[in-house]
Amino acid sequence: MPRPAASPRRAPKRRQPGHLAFVFRPLRLRWYDGEVAAIEAKDIYKAFGQASVLEGVDLSVDAGQRLGLIGPAAAGKTVLLKLLAGLDRPDRGSVAVGDKDLASLSEAEIMPIRRRIGMAFQSYALFDFMTVGENVAFPLARAGELDDDTIRARASERLRQVGLAGSEDKMPSELSGGMKKRVGIARATVTEPEILIYDEPTAGLDPVTSAKIYELLAGIQAETGGAVIAVSSDVEPLIEFSDTVAMLYDGRVAYHGAADEIYDAEQALVRQFVRGDLEGPL
Amino acid sequence: MSVVSRIQALGRSALALARGSRDLAALFLSTLRGVARGRRRPGETVAQMYEIGNRSFLFVAVTLGAIGMVMVYQTALQLERITGDLSLVGPEFLSLLVQDFGPTITALMLATRVGAGIAAEVGSMKVTEQIDALRMSGVSPVDYLIVPRLVASLVMTFALAIFGTAIAYGAGGITAYVSYDLNPRMYFDVSQVTLADVGLGAVKTATYGLAIPVISGFCGLRARGSSEGVGRATTEAVIGSSLAVIILNFVISGLGIYGLGLVEP
Amino acid sequence: MRLSRPISALGRGSLVIAREVGGIAILTAQVARALVPPAMDGRELVRNLYRMGNLSVPIVVLTAFFVGGIMVIQSGVFVERFGATGLVGWGAGYAIFREVGPVLIALMFSGRVGSNNTAELGTMTVTEQLDGLRALAIDPIRYLIVPRVVAMTVALLALTIIGNLVALVGGALFSQLLLDLPPALFYYSLVDNLRPEDLIHGLIKAVVFGLAIALTSCHFGVTVRGGAVGVGRAVNAAVVAAAVSIMVLDFFVTYLVK
Repeated sequence: MPRPAASPRRAPKRRQPGHLAFVFRPLRLRWYDGEVAAIEAKDIYKAFGQASVLEGVDLSVDAGQRLGLIGPAAAGKTVLLKLLAGLDRPDRGSVAVGDKDLASLSEAEIMPIRRRIGMAFQSYALFDFMTVGENVAFPLARAGELDDDTIRARASERLRQVGLAGSEDKMPSELSGGMKKRVGIARATVTEPEILIYDEPTAGLDPVTSAKIYELLAGIQAETGGAVIAVSSDVEPLIEFSDTVAMLYDGRVAYHGAADEIYDAEQALVRQFVRGDLEGPL
Repeated sequence: MSVVSRIQALGRSALALARGSRDLAALFLSTLRGVARGRRRPGETVAQMYEIGNRSFLFVAVTLGAIGMVMVYQTALQLERITGDLSLVGPEFLSLLVQDFGPTITALMLATRVGAGIAAEVGSMKVTEQIDALRMSGVSPVDYLIVPRLVASLVMTFALAIFGTAIAYGAGGITAYVSYDLNPRMYFDVSQVTLADVGLGAVKTATYGLAIPVISGFCGLRARGSSEGVGRATTEAVIGSSLAVIILNFVISGLGIYGLGLVEP
Repeated sequence: MRLSRPISALGRGSLVIAREVGGIAILTAQVARALVPPAMDGRELVRNLYRMGNLSVPIVVLTAFFVGGIMVIQSGVFVERFGATGLVGWGAGYAIFREVGPVLIALMFSGRVGSNNTAELGTMTVTEQLDGLRALAIDPIRYLIVPRVVAMTVALLALTIIGNLVALVGGALFSQLLLDLPPALFYYSLVDNLRPEDLIHGLIKAVVFGLAIALTSCHFGVTVRGGAVGVGRAVNAAVVAAAVSIMVLDFFVTYLVK
């Protein structure tokens, strides 16, 4: 099968999850080209008490696209993700999902929109009073559209996909960090949401496990065709995974562009950050 | 600290208090709405009743038993010195227990055990992002976590208050018999207890049963950070619930006895 | 349910209680040994006295004021029934000094300071700060625990004295408001009938409760396991253990100290 010529820096550009996804991928890209963004944040301001975290952030992801969000520690990446998921409210600005603005809706009005968004959390956020299987099945069960057998089958299928077949009856406390991450990903994606948000999907994992996770995320996205936003402090693999990359710095978006161009970005601080240079404005 | 910064600090804490009270009231209302909607996780309320109630019985028995013995002992010590007539110790103690001490001391004990328990559990869920995960699954954390605890607490506070009152009364009777040779038939005389006593005690019990889970759940949902955040939430829950019990007791006793003339000879 | 299950649960429960009581006893011995000769970190002691004592004054004052009010409200029933206005001040004072003051203030102190102490030591334990101290050749008992135990005991004693006085003021105020009883009558009823033993009885309780709260809260703090969840659980266990200790010790002190 022909592969696009890879730029020298990002040699193993994208691991293809399966031949079907490979066939459909270009088609979907064209399909959504020029369409309304899946999720779009405009002019976001957010402060906690005296401390201002976000000061005028604009960001958008189209359907079928992967956005990698990077930035130094405490740059407000997790805060931004929670605003995008409607878990928190910006002080100013809007978060548009389709034609709805999450920033102006009440919690009860946001609830149905959240079904279109899946989120995997930094600290896994697995319900420790449920088994692994119940955790993954939970969003499906709450949606209340499927019968119990179908839900169980879907959850098991998703667990098999993340490489955890047969661990339905384990408790989260019996799992390792990497396994918990994968359960969290399974739970976030089980409803096949249009927008997937991953907060540090590979933090604390070894490089091989981390590579497997990205392969998994790519596979799931190829299957659902949704928009993906991922945050990671592990910059290189994230850039490799993403179509576009945005860098948060000092409460603003310092860079937002194609992933393969970020190493040669105009801004010195962006270049320094992604290359890990000691010399520079940072 | 300069005068200005002191005043600023005072203003800030007043604002924080006002905002906190408003949020607490909002949580109470949305919990009540959740109860009215009646959509609950099957089995969860029963599980919470077990957690809040059954697992507190030993705790309430030990503490209320000890306080019952002490109170009768101290009272009798003084009465013996002044009048030498102990015939009213039992009946008066029972009436006081029913309308005030039984529910209130039981609730103070529950404020520590149940309040800390709810805040620790909900707070841990908050800092490990499980609350956010619930919301992402389309579930209201109030309906899912606070509502079953409120219903369970309301029911079990009644059960425990009755149980605690009985234990304290019984332990007091034994003390009176052992230490002062008071005839049990004279002590266990229930004729003094009026309907008003029972009513006032019931109102207090219901109020405490509602206040403790809402305040503790509020503290848990507000937790931030990691383990120190959970610790802070738990501390706040114990203090907030205990203070609420004491102040509510003051208000309801005052209203019941003087305002409405509920309990009058 | 089979019969063996409740019995084994009872056995497990007793084992857990025995382990905690044993742990507290060992900690008590360690603290006692560290206090002979009385050497401790003076700065830690002062810092803890301020945090645990001074910063608890508002909550103790608030509690005591309302408790004084409650005592008068309740005694009002008896006053009307027996016409014993001359005994209100003494009755309220007797109950506050010997019983209600020490016990309620100790419960509030346990809620604020004890649970906070457990949370703090627990956080230090799960973040390996205690091992860090040991690695620096600093004895955590001497450096962390002893100043806290001393500070909590002294602070609770002082807070009980303050709280008793505030409760009496609250009592006198509400006697005037609710029973139309002049404060002077309240005062004379108190000083004429109250004996020094009543005061000392309550203060002995304050010291015993202070020690109990300090030792239980430190014990549950340094034995925390398992991150944020473990800290929450430890604080919960500590306040429950402190409440049981207060009530049971109250009983013993009442009997033994006359």
